[in-house]
Amino acid sequence: MSLLRVEGLGKSYTADKQILKNINFEIKAEELVSIIGPSGAGKSTLLRCMNRMVEFSEGKIMFNNRDVGSLDKKELRNVRANIGMVFQHYNLVPRLTVIENVLHGRFGYKTTLQGLLGRYTEAEKERAFYLLEKLGIHEHAYKRCDQLSGGQQQRVGICRALIQEPKLILCDEPIASLDPNSSKIIMDLLKSISTEMGITCLVNLHQVDVAKHYSDRIIGLNKGEIVFTGTSHELNEEQINKIYGTKTEDLITA
Amino acid sequence: MEATYIKRKKDGRIHIKSGNKGDRVLRSTLGVLTILTFVAFLFFNYAGLELGSAITETAYNLKVMFFEPALSHFGLREAIYQVGITLSLAFLATIIGAIIAFFLSLMAATNLAPLGLTRIIRVFVAFIRAVPTVLWVLIFAIAAGLGSEAAVLGMLFHSIAYLVKAFSEAFEEVDKGILEAVRSTGGNWWHIVKSGVLPSTFTYLLSWIFLRFEINFGVAVAMGAAAGAGGIGFDLFMASSFYFDMREVGFITYAILIVAFLLEVVSTRLKKRFFPATSD
Ligand SMILES: Nc1ncnc2c1ncn2[C@@H]1O[C@H](COP(=O)(O)OP(=O)(O)OP(=O)(O)O)[C@@H](O)[C@H]1O
Ligand SMILES: [Mg+2]
Repeated sequence: MSLLRVEGLGKSYTADKQILKNINFEIKAEELVSIIGPSGAGKSTLLRCMNRMVEFSEGKIMFNNRDVGSLDKKELRNVRANIGMVFQHYNLVPRLTVIENVLHGRFGYKTTLQGLLGRYTEAEKERAFYLLEKLGIHEHAYKRCDQLSGGQQQRVGICRALIQEPKLILCDEPIASLDPNSSKIIMDLLKSISTEMGITCLVNLHQVDVAKHYSDRIIGLNKGEIVFTGTSHELNEEQINKIYGTKTEDLITA
Repeated sequence: MEATYIKRKKDGRIHIKSGNKGDRVLRSTLGVLTILTFVAFLFFNYAGLELGSAITETAYNLKVMFFEPALSHFGLREAIYQVGITLSLAFLATIIGAIIAFFLSLMAATNLAPLGLTRIIRVFVAFIRAVPTVLWVLIFAIAAGLGSEAAVLGMLFHSIAYLVKAFSEAFEEVDKGILEAVRSTGGNWWHIVKSGVLPSTFTYLLSWIFLRFEINFGVAVAMGAAAGAGGIGFDLFMASSFYFDMREVGFITYAILIVAFLLEVVSTRLKKRFFPATSD
């Protein structure tokens, strides 16, 4: 059973340039899949089509047996609640505390009034502390987020995604702003989230070796088209050149 | 080799102005204004003016005003009470204005509202801001009569316009990643405002409101005199144009000065704390 199925996906921001062309792939539950490709290939755009943070123009996305493209506003909120998101720049509210930022992950389940009053159940708060402890940052729970290091902030971001109780987590270059040590912590975390908690992860990455080490499968994107899908072992030197495009190839295709 | 794009004067010194049209227009405008100023003095009606006595009497009045301030038509308690009234007028206009401006500015921020709506509100608000507060007071006086109601309404109107611009610009500064993050969890627009926009801008909003309060205090003094809105401004008007009591004028001026000074101190502190980059 596939959790996510993408068929013939196409996207263009402007009429003259197609950013994504005929994207097809499937992701099974509990998989960790990486998307790699050169800058501007459309990785971030592709990721954001999954929960319609970016509206796509062609094709179909099936998530958890629901047609993402045809949802109304309320259903879309519900689907988004089931999809966590982790960002390169963490995207936390810097002036709020760690625990408040984590609880923001519950908005998908709240009415407007509950959200405005900041009403969270005790169970939700317990869960937030449980997750913070699990990720080893519970001692910072009442600190403002801007007092944390990058690696710690990214863990808060992951907590915010996890408290959504999602089936899928989308990560847009989660380690691009981190040093090697913190990067390893974060990638190990994502790996254990997919294997132990059974949450599927779709991760945009810039580092090929990281992708090879952690992913069950890798998708290679170049100029909006999938040019490779396969396991880490199948990703050889030739395939990498194809994804990133060497100078000679550039000259030939141009 | 001499680079040809260096502009030099006849004596060889280098120009640092680009010598474009704007500069020339500005310079000729200033020139014309200077000439007009001198010409105007030549055409004044100087009959009945004795410069010598005029200067000495003005100096005397100023001396009485600022070195011998005293109250004669009312006591200190009354003076404090009247300053309180003026402050209250300013406070009322500022607070109500801030609340209304908050909601309007949510609709005027391009990252929170559709572009069409933001344009409409911006144009509307720019129009209100372009008309001075005093004029708005007079316009409202047609319906409400001269008095504190018209003054508060006029100040309110202008405060809203002023704060909508300030607030919406603050909202637009909010990192769009934060908005994206809250939206991606399934949060709706109100959730985004409450947990993303407000916490990030709250201190800015507070300092803007205080800045506007300071402005409104000044306006409220003037409105007391010009629009019969009461408060210390009205007493100032009576003392200067009715009783010709220079000592009282001096006293009231000092009272206003003290309040304005206190407000200035507080707002400078706020600015230092919340806009460290802009205050120097
Ligand atoms: N909001 C937008 N409006 C118009 N064009 C956009 C927008 N967002 C992205 N693009 C364009 O889409 C293309 C793909 O961008 P995208 O951010 O998806 O690439 P990416 O693979 O994530 O690159 P990077 O590795 O640098 O993050 C780029 O050419 C970019 O200019
Ligand atoms: Mg990107």
